[in-house]
Amino acid sequence: MAMTDYELPCERDVEQVWERLDAVGAGLADEHELTCPHCRAARESLLALREATTELVAEDDVPPALFGRIMSAVRAEVRRGSMVALPTPEPGFVEISEQAVAAVLRYAADTVDGVRARRCRVRTGVDGVVEVELTLAVSVRNVAGGAALALVRERVTAAAAARVGLTLAKLDLLVDDVYGEPGE
Amino acid sequence: MSVDYVIADPVIASVAARAAIDTAGVVRLEPGLRGLVTAWTRAARQRWKGLDPAPADGVRVRTTDGRVTVEIDLVTASADQAAAVGRAVQRAVGRFVTEQTGLVVDEVSVSIMDIEDR
Repeated sequence: MAMTDYELPCERDVEQVWERLDAVGAGLADEHELTCPHCRAARESLLALREATTELVAEDDVPPALFGRIMSAVRAEVRRGSMVALPTPEPGFVEISEQAVAAVLRYAADTVDGVRARRCRVRTGVDGVVEVELTLAVSVRNVAGGAALALVRERVTAAAAARVGLTLAKLDLLVDDVYGEPGE
Repeated sequence: MSVDYVIADPVIASVAARAAIDTAGVVRLEPGLRGLVTAWTRAARQRWKGLDPAPADGVRVRTTDGRVTVEIDLVTASADQAAAVGRAVQRAVGRFVTEQTGLVVDEVSVSIMDIEDR
């Protein structure tokens, strides 16, 4: 399950932000970088981190695991901004990042034959209900049939309940691409 | 005679961290940037050798007017239900902190930052 990549909610990843840090600082930002709040948050975190650690970076023997740990920390920082509340009878709260939920739901949709999950947006409404919009690509075999989509709906809803502990108030499925398969 | 015991927040934090890590379905605590920089500063003194986060990274403890609240950021395993793991951590932390320190924790909050395969 590819849940350990460093993707931001806007679908750019932290490594890309890191690589573009100096370019953006020099005024060479593209349209997305100028306007995206997720990229900006990641950039600010990375800049703060770089500043805080300039002296340390000058030292030798930086362990290779360090890069992964920085990326994971930055990603957690970005995710903190968008959390979904989970039910609990205990005092205090339990919450989960929207990105973690999205990864679980995308994976569930991918298990349906002839369907590939693309984007998954998880939103919490004002009254605390959770709404999901899942964008899919379907194989040419499935274009005419609603059967595959019904199965996606079933598996995504089941995964939200079983893997996360979340009841979805709304699940929108958008098919935005069709792909061919060899031999068809 | 009355005796006041004072148990420092970092002590509560490390006890809470141990309870959380030992809960089934918890992969690791997520220290976040602040925790990482703290660990980094500590590590600099040890020339990188001790870079692994100290046990309490990812845990924040607040004591206000005698009320103790604990907040924990962590990553859960994909095989377990995230909400159930979160509730188990809430219960385990409350119980273990009281066992180890005699303090009653008023609230334990759990933020699941990510779900990972183990």
